[in-house]
Amino acid sequence: MSAAPLLSVTGLSKSFGGLRAVHDVNFQVFPGEIFAIIGPNGAGKTTTLNLVSGLLAPSAGSITLAGQDLTRLPSHKRCHLGLGRAFQVVQPFPEMTVLENVLVGAQFGSANVSAAEANRRAEVALERSGLAALSDRPVEDLNLLQEKRLEIARALATKPQVLLLDEVMAGLRPAEARLAVELVRDVRNEGITVVFIEHVMPVVRDLADRVLVMDHGSELAIGTYAEVTANRMVVEAYLGKEEDEAEEGS
Amino acid sequence: MKPRINPLGRDLLLALLFFALLLFLPPLLRGAFGRASVSYLSLGINALVLATLALSWDLLARTGQLSLAHAAFTGAGAYSTAILLRMADVPLWLGIPLGGVVAALLALALGSVTLRLYGIYFAIATLAFTEVLKTVVQELPTKIAGGAPGMNVTALFRPTLAPGMERWELAFVRNQGYFWVYAALLLVAVIISIFIQRSRLKSAFTAIRTNELVAGVMGVNPARLKLLAFVLSSFVAGTLGAVEAHRLGSVSPDGAFAVSTTVLALVTPIFGGLYTTVGPILGALVLAGLEETLKRTFADGYLIGYGIVLVASILFMPRGLVGLLSGIAKRLRRPGGGQEGGMSSARAMTDEPFTAPEETP
Amino acid sequence: MDLSLLPQALVSGVLAAGLYALVSVGLALAIGVIGIVNFAHGEFFMVGAFLAYQLFVSFGFDPLLSLLFVAPALFVIGAIIYLSSIRFVLKAPELNQMLLTFGVGIILQNLALLIWGGDPRTIARVPYRAIGYKIGNISIGLVPLGSFVISLILVAALYWMLARTPLGRGMRAVAQNRIGAGLVGLEVNRIYLIAFAMSALLAGMGGVMIAVIQSPTPTIGFGFTLKAFAIVVLAGLGNIRGITIAAIVVALSESLVATMVPNGDSLRNAVFFAIIFVALVARSRRAY
Repeated sequence: MSAAPLLSVTGLSKSFGGLRAVHDVNFQVFPGEIFAIIGPNGAGKTTTLNLVSGLLAPSAGSITLAGQDLTRLPSHKRCHLGLGRAFQVVQPFPEMTVLENVLVGAQFGSANVSAAEANRRAEVALERSGLAALSDRPVEDLNLLQEKRLEIARALATKPQVLLLDEVMAGLRPAEARLAVELVRDVRNEGITVVFIEHVMPVVRDLADRVLVMDHGSELAIGTYAEVTANRMVVEAYLGKEEDEAEEGS
Repeated sequence: MKPRINPLGRDLLLALLFFALLLFLPPLLRGAFGRASVSYLSLGINALVLATLALSWDLLARTGQLSLAHAAFTGAGAYSTAILLRMADVPLWLGIPLGGVVAALLALALGSVTLRLYGIYFAIATLAFTEVLKTVVQELPTKIAGGAPGMNVTALFRPTLAPGMERWELAFVRNQGYFWVYAALLLVAVIISIFIQRSRLKSAFTAIRTNELVAGVMGVNPARLKLLAFVLSSFVAGTLGAVEAHRLGSVSPDGAFAVSTTVLALVTPIFGGLYTTVGPILGALVLAGLEETLKRTFADGYLIGYGIVLVASILFMPRGLVGLLSGIAKRLRRPGGGQEGGMSSARAMTDEPFTAPEETP
Repeated sequence: MDLSLLPQALVSGVLAAGLYALVSVGLALAIGVIGIVNFAHGEFFMVGAFLAYQLFVSFGFDPLLSLLFVAPALFVIGAIIYLSSIRFVLKAPELNQMLLTFGVGIILQNLALLIWGGDPRTIARVPYRAIGYKIGNISIGLVPLGSFVISLILVAALYWMLARTPLGRGMRAVAQNRIGAGLVGLEVNRIYLIAFAMSALLAGMGGVMIAVIQSPTPTIGFGFTLKAFAIVVLAGLGNIRGITIAAIVVALSESLVATMVPNGDSLRNAVFFAIIFVALVARSRRAY
């Protein structure tokens, strides 16, 4: 991995009235990494992701992508600069086919995309996500795993440098989860850096190069999976809240 | 790869064909029905006006902005041309499109401040805006805008009786002129709609309408596109209002900014089929036909018919006439298959609408 | 600007606030408990006014007496409307609800137009209409004072019902957690029905009182829908207690404009709408 971080988050904070959802979070993600964000429920993981993708404005702090300051930019500009996002609760655009959904990302993901180029990107994204056969089906026909593939395909079509994923595994059966893990690996092998939130520990252990642990809105630890799971504070944070989840992986 | 006719080109061709038909309709009617053609043309004019009103409202609705301010823009157009004529002697061929421009500028202003308003909040804000605008116009110096009673306006067509011409032919020529002007305006609206539907704008608008946050994250610029829709919608509405002013011969605050205009503008596309080019037009054809009957049966309370149509559409016909017809077509093609129409209160007549961002910690 | 008129304007405003609070509290009930923004709310108010008028003209009923008749009548009307249309869109997107209630409003408004015509009706000329009291140079009409008192009593009764009765508790439970309430066995649909019918009843009672003050026309409903909505939004959705205060704010601003600003009476609506507009836009800016 090269020395310069691709995505930098510095001093990120967000308060809703009196509630401090995220407080002074710092981390860096290097090109080609798979970076996981874990933590007990309510730790502020999704809020952090929302702040990075521009769905929320931070109370303090900054976000930089490849040297560009994203902090004041609206989400569509961040997308143009290379930030892709797939959502936890899958939200396909209804009344459109799979292809049309992905085309939105392809047509608008970067500034000035020609129609031909957009079609190409959409087709490639569908290939990569394994949805090429379903491209003309209405999105209502998809099962859960297919919907998640669609989320990723849509994000891929925007030609991201960094892909933000939120709990992709939620609701998937073990066989499906294995396929989803493959998909994430394939995405990284294309050269896309991945930042993902996850609760399922075996997945984090298998996929993540480095892990950020959050609790109560702050960063608790950063390191490899082995390092953070050995960290006493991390174990306590989990034992205090979700005993089962922490034990699940080991 | 087999060659396909460009859908955009095909649609445009169909539109031009339709317009050509409209062009020849008046003389055809005259030949076939003589004196009676005058009232048929009147009906036609009503249908064209309603269709343009409906289509222009639909343009805005495609981005999820359900506006109750449509009357503000038709009214703005009407008053602009009237005031320009009165104060600066601006000729009608210039004043009318300028009415559209003024309405568009107004929409730009309104649209910019309401970008973060959704659903009922947006609706109420636009309604409030219309009322304020109406009062502003009413309170303008009487010299300029005529105050509460309004003022008279020159007619667009004032044919004079030539020797040998019968009385009804005068009315016919007048109606014919207006018919053509409205047809041309509808054509403009239709072309705008087709260009949107056959370009990447269609999916962008749909994305914004169904989930603005996700659309943004995928690179769509919701602010810019919502404003674009607003400007296009109100330009058409404003121009329509301007022509109406010159046809009716007068403008007044209550008339130009009447809530009934907005009601018609929204009920018609909902009934006919939202987010399509054909839906609003189809809805207009049916409702304009009904309007005569409604007015005769209910006099002042004729809008009750529209209220009933609105309620019935939402309960029974979520996808409007267009949806109904295509549902029937599908079932004919696939007997035994086919989808549920009906009171699907869960299945929206609009797509899952975007609800304002929920701030989840 | 004649400052000597200020005290009168303030008093008139406060008195009018009673009615506004009554109508708004009904809307808040519909929004909070059922989750539906009822665009037709003001029409219940209008119907109440016309019923009171008709009862007076046909049977000589004093409006105070009419309250007793209008209340159940509006309850029934509200229930009918709920059962025939509203309950089908409870799970539908907000847009459908908004459009449906808008349509219901149009129907009611035009129905009134058909039945009673659009001309301003002669106000129910009750003998006590002209009675007023004077404190200093502030005059307080008996009728505005009466409406204020009655409205306050009704609003207080509603607060009491919500806080102390099983039905009220059920409504609050449903308002807070729709699914949860159903799970613990509360008959959610019955509660919806009653809440909606009650909101119609409250609005209707307000209408009875306005019939004495102002001549009822089919279009007054719409203005009150907007006013009620503005007050509910100002108070904050779900905040029923704040409504009384919000109602006072709105009523006072209206009264001040009408009295103190030259040509204020024709401007008062516009000023009110301008306030709503600005308030809505300002709130939308803050939430990001």
